[in-house]
Amino acid sequence: MNSSSVSSRFTVLGPYPRTAVAVLLLGAALLFSFGGMRTSLYPELLSVFEWMETTWFGYVGKTWGGAFALVQGGHLVSLGVLGGSVLFSDGRLLGLFSSLPIRDVIDGAHKVFVGALIVVVATGVFMVCGVAVKVYYLPVFWYKMLTLTVGVLFAFFVRKPLLDRNIDQVNPWVVRLVAVSSVMVWFTVAATGRWIGFS
Amino acid sequence: MNQLIYDIAVWLDDTAWSTAIHESYYLYNWIEATHVLTLMLSLGILFLIDMRMLGWALPNVPATRLAEKLNAPMLVGFVVMFITGILLFYAVPVRSAQSLWFRIKMVLLVVCAVNAYLFHKRMTQSLASWENEPKAPSALRRGAAISLAFWTVIVVCGRFIAYDWYDCDYGQTDLVRALAGCIDGQTRF
Amino acid sequence: MSDQQKETDKTLRDDTLAAVVVSGSIVTFFIVYWFFEIQSVRELLEMAYG
Repeated sequence: MNSSSVSSRFTVLGPYPRTAVAVLLLGAALLFSFGGMRTSLYPELLSVFEWMETTWFGYVGKTWGGAFALVQGGHLVSLGVLGGSVLFSDGRLLGLFSSLPIRDVIDGAHKVFVGALIVVVATGVFMVCGVAVKVYYLPVFWYKMLTLTVGVLFAFFVRKPLLDRNIDQVNPWVVRLVAVSSVMVWFTVAATGRWIGFS
Repeated sequence: MNQLIYDIAVWLDDTAWSTAIHESYYLYNWIEATHVLTLMLSLGILFLIDMRMLGWALPNVPATRLAEKLNAPMLVGFVVMFITGILLFYAVPVRSAQSLWFRIKMVLLVVCAVNAYLFHKRMTQSLASWENEPKAPSALRRGAAISLAFWTVIVVCGRFIAYDWYDCDYGQTDLVRALAGCIDGQTRF
Repeated sequence: MSDQQKETDKTLRDDTLAAVVVSGSIVTFFIVYWFFEIQSVRELLEMAYG
């Protein structure tokens, strides 16, 4: 199955538009982190986080610890399912479970991944609203948000387009590299999330 | 029975290693983080198998082959969860033993273990007759639904252990005190 | 080689190169990050426990 042809991509970026966008975004991220934009944007975000605590989610999360904990339990379950789908799909790409049909594994696991990601993000937003100002001041929260963004962009705009085509056409070492980096990113999202609880 | 559980917990609490884990700068956090993160390996894969049996996910992947192939990594995950869980209990044994949520979690773990055994037995008995069907036979679907529901409750109870709403230190109803194994004057928090 | 085949090859090269650039960056970042993280944890533990 082919992904979109060159003629439907942005040819203003040259013959390799996806690579060009990836390199530009990486450069922009480095510039943002070390070029001073981050430190100037950070104080502006405080008012947003203060507002989040005044929302209905924030009110419920702060008033009823039980509700917060219940949603956190849902967050953990969906995190488990998300991690399971990532490990299953990337494990198959790395050559494990070789008797299972690779196309069905990738496509099926991706659907589970999307469902779990929606629940993870929804429950995560609820929880952040309950402790918004506290997490604003936590560096590990920002690491998690950065890693989550990288993970989502990577999953939908790099990994999926590559794997949507016939896997036999793709260099096996590239497939393995993509699988390893996918596991690393999502493991880090989970680990930094856990570390928020320790901070 | 509650007195016996309390005495064993106190004996564990008085050991040097229990104190060492509990007061360590990093160790308790690392053990807990490992316990939570291994959810992805153990529970994540289990839920994939359960969802396949229910016909909710991976409909084109042969069901029994999926369960067979994912069994080993899932069991590795559960072994790690078990070991880290024991260490977490060992670090704070008295409060854990007198935690309502911990006790519910342990009972449900036993229920889920029995359910898993029966599920596996039924699955191997009916091997290959429905492998490529999008849904498993109804008995196996029931087992998968029970597994999904109870494991979700186990995770939530695990999360609730950290909260002190039903701790023995505070005035609780007789029912809570009975279920949590509270003994007058005998707590360690 | 037909035009369609050439286009497919180009998109495959593009997708592959993008995957290598991004995945390589991710893996490199994490190797560097975890190296310094482990080093700082070791120093902290040495300070705390001697």
